[in-house]
Amino acid sequence: MSVAIIGVGQTGYRRSFADKSSRELIWEAARLALEDAGMGIDAIDMVISGVAPDALAGEASVERTAMLGFGKPFLRINTGGVTGSSAVFAGNTFIRARRARAVLVVGLERMGQATSSQQVFNTIFDPVYEKDFPLTTITMAALRASMLMRLYGYTAMHWAQIASRSYRNALRNPLAHIHRDVSPEDVLNSPLLAWPIHRYEACPMSEGACAMVLVDEGMVGDRIPAWIQGAASITDSYAMGDRIHRPGATLVDLLSLKLAAQRAYAEAGVDRPREQLRAVELYSAFSSAEAMAYPALGLCASEDGPRFVEAQFTDPTLPVINPSGGPQGANPVSVTAMVRIAEAALQVREMAGERQVADVERAVATGQGGATQFSTVCVLGKRQAA
Amino acid sequence: MELVTIEGKWDFNYTYFAGESASRFFHELRENQRIMGTRCTKCEKLLVPARAYCDVCMSVTDEWVEVGPEGTLETFTIITTAFPGLPKPPIVMAYVTLDGADTALINLVHGMDLSDIEKAAQKLNALPRVRVEFIDEPKGRITDFSFKLI
Amino acid sequence: MTDAADVYIEGVAIELSWADRTRSLTELIFTTVSKAVDDAGRGYEGIDSVVLAAHDLVDGRSLSSMVTAPAAGAYLRDEVRYSDDGAGAFAAAVARIEADEAERSIVAAWGRASEHDVEEFSRALFDRIFLAPLGLEELHVSALNAQKWRIDGGDASHVETAQARRATAAKANPRALHAGGKRSTPAYPLASDHLPLWADVVAAVVISKRPSGVRIKGLGLSSEPSWLGDRGVAKAPALKRAAQRALSEAQIGVDEIELFEIDGMTLYDEAIALEAIGLAATGEGMRSLAHDPRCNPSGGSMAGYGVPAMGLARIVEATLQLRGAAGPVQQGRPRTAMASGQSVTAAQTQTVVVLEAA
Repeated sequence: MSVAIIGVGQTGYRRSFADKSSRELIWEAARLALEDAGMGIDAIDMVISGVAPDALAGEASVERTAMLGFGKPFLRINTGGVTGSSAVFAGNTFIRARRARAVLVVGLERMGQATSSQQVFNTIFDPVYEKDFPLTTITMAALRASMLMRLYGYTAMHWAQIASRSYRNALRNPLAHIHRDVSPEDVLNSPLLAWPIHRYEACPMSEGACAMVLVDEGMVGDRIPAWIQGAASITDSYAMGDRIHRPGATLVDLLSLKLAAQRAYAEAGVDRPREQLRAVELYSAFSSAEAMAYPALGLCASEDGPRFVEAQFTDPTLPVINPSGGPQGANPVSVTAMVRIAEAALQVREMAGERQVADVERAVATGQGGATQFSTVCVLGKRQAA
Repeated sequence: MELVTIEGKWDFNYTYFAGESASRFFHELRENQRIMGTRCTKCEKLLVPARAYCDVCMSVTDEWVEVGPEGTLETFTIITTAFPGLPKPPIVMAYVTLDGADTALINLVHGMDLSDIEKAAQKLNALPRVRVEFIDEPKGRITDFSFKLI
Repeated sequence: MTDAADVYIEGVAIELSWADRTRSLTELIFTTVSKAVDDAGRGYEGIDSVVLAAHDLVDGRSLSSMVTAPAAGAYLRDEVRYSDDGAGAFAAAVARIEADEAERSIVAAWGRASEHDVEEFSRALFDRIFLAPLGLEELHVSALNAQKWRIDGGDASHVETAQARRATAAKANPRALHAGGKRSTPAYPLASDHLPLWADVVAAVVISKRPSGVRIKGLGLSSEPSWLGDRGVAKAPALKRAAQRALSEAQIGVDEIELFEIDGMTLYDEAIALEAIGLAATGEGMRSLAHDPRCNPSGGSMAGYGVPAMGLARIVEATLQLRGAAGPVQQGRPRTAMASGQSVTAAQTQTVVVLEAA
């Protein structure tokens, strides 16, 4: 049973939507996705949603306030940063199990209501051994970035180049939250948050909702599909300290992403990712997270990472990374991983407007969450997997 | 028409049970000023901080072993920007593998000259040896100790 | 609806406790998951999927599974957490196996009521703009449902007998909470012993395609609107639809089911639930709860209650009954059973599972 994405709806992303309640944002994204699919809510068999963490919205299970359709099976995912992609995967599962023919997946980020996101992010850590430290998503990334610099020769300029490329890609994405032409020098000149991470390398706090319609192969008809060719998800240990001495996969080797990619590629029949994947939508909250994803996705060897960053600006045969601007352009946390799949689907369906990459036969989208711990890989294609 | 906003506070009370293993780890910090790990009965790795089970093997731990007090720095960051509710910068935070341990432990590094961040970063990049330093009156919390460059 | 391969329950475990200071939350999870894996009898062989149900707010960890999932065996496996009831997670795990995405899966759910303030949690579940300012809690909705059931002519003459039967069953159930726990303050018309006994609950099961003791015959899920006023008060329509779907998939009538473990927070919720699944006529649910030995032999919410583990806890109890291993609360040797689980807010979503002794 093959599953296709035939509808994508996004509200667009910004710092906050004072003019819309949470339920209205969800409804808006769902409406757009159904419209794109040319379907009504009655044709949907199941709704899968996700918002995480609740604390960022200051509301619990906020998407239940926008129950869509009447009496439908409804499940709520919460896997941190990969909530959005996990929701898509769950929809894929229920269709492949023949328990649904059409599933609406929907996610919302309402962090504009939070007064201090990094304070919230500190409360995700183990309350017994770790909560007393200034551990945040930023410092976690910094601990890895400094290791990458030492091991593979990345420099502050590489981090700045990656960030700048994403900002400039986001200029072509009307849905992005940040539209600002940021040069690598601008990144380097922005204040230092936690060495080696500069402010302009950190993602924005964005609000917005995203929704998608997934259907089985019999329901695609004359709609434009993005086929889910491969989908895989892997969880790593929580304890970062335990991974430092792990043979073959230390703290900066994204083992969970690597294993997920292997599975998704095998399903999709991808064996030369660098040639076969034209568009890559990465959930990389920081430049260093993007660098860790290159070898995990088979785009280059770990030690070739710095050169791969440089080559992206000169070699047109390389895959285009984050044509949407990625999380640098908008980071509605709960849905960021879903947005990656939505953007990859738009690329495959040739509906990405100004940010469209040429000849996208296949695209890949990743999700990354927890203590760089939950990884998802989704390969989408113009055709069903062989 | 005015768009309505409603003030709210997302504040909940919890009592977290640390359990016997972490309690003993904290007890050792307070009473004996030493860092303890536990050994997995399957992979035989010495896990620090001490815990009741190994999540890689899904096996229990048994033996308690003291580690350190010296160790090697593995990676670090220097926090230079203040975040509400968190300690005042600049702060050095690092993973350190204490001698004898098979896993690294996170804590703050104290006593460094941080007037020049880049210079401090270069010093830490050399992965220096460190020693555990306890505060004067340990309370049985993870903040009872920090690392100091040797 | 599905013609996929059959899925079986290989192993189960459940533990209820209260404020056990010797163990952290992750240690409680590790213990029960290990017991379920031991019960299945072939270690971690072939386990490639972990499906969890847990709430951040219950766990007091803003991204609970980051800290807790590894305790449930998630390491380098395909793991997903539903912020939903354990029965919903169970349905998702079954779907994974039917979809050929997994061979063998752990399903675990937990809630540690002794670590947090259950009323505070309950108030947080309601819409911030319209309902939270009223101080509404889920148990208030249970009270509203109970009173509506009475107003509509529900036969309340069996309330005391039903409650006494729940108490006797909970006392006899070796898996119930027998010391500690706490109850909220009742709201009219509920009395204190009608309320759930808050407990620390961890439930875990292992499922796979390999034939073993208990087979999954049918699954049904459904939901209700968000606005309380839009729902069918005292009718549990989501449960009714979920039960219809599960029965239709199992191709069995509710009368043929020999054992019921139906989730409800209070005495009245359990009675209303028996009507919704079609076992009792409207207004007669309390009579069934009082006199029908097939209904909630575990003691229901009297035996201990920890959100969001209860749907999975009911599945564990039903499985033990089908295996003839429920101990002092065993009801003969049933061949078929129905278990259900509800989720926030105030039973807005429901999952029903029909099981069969294989």
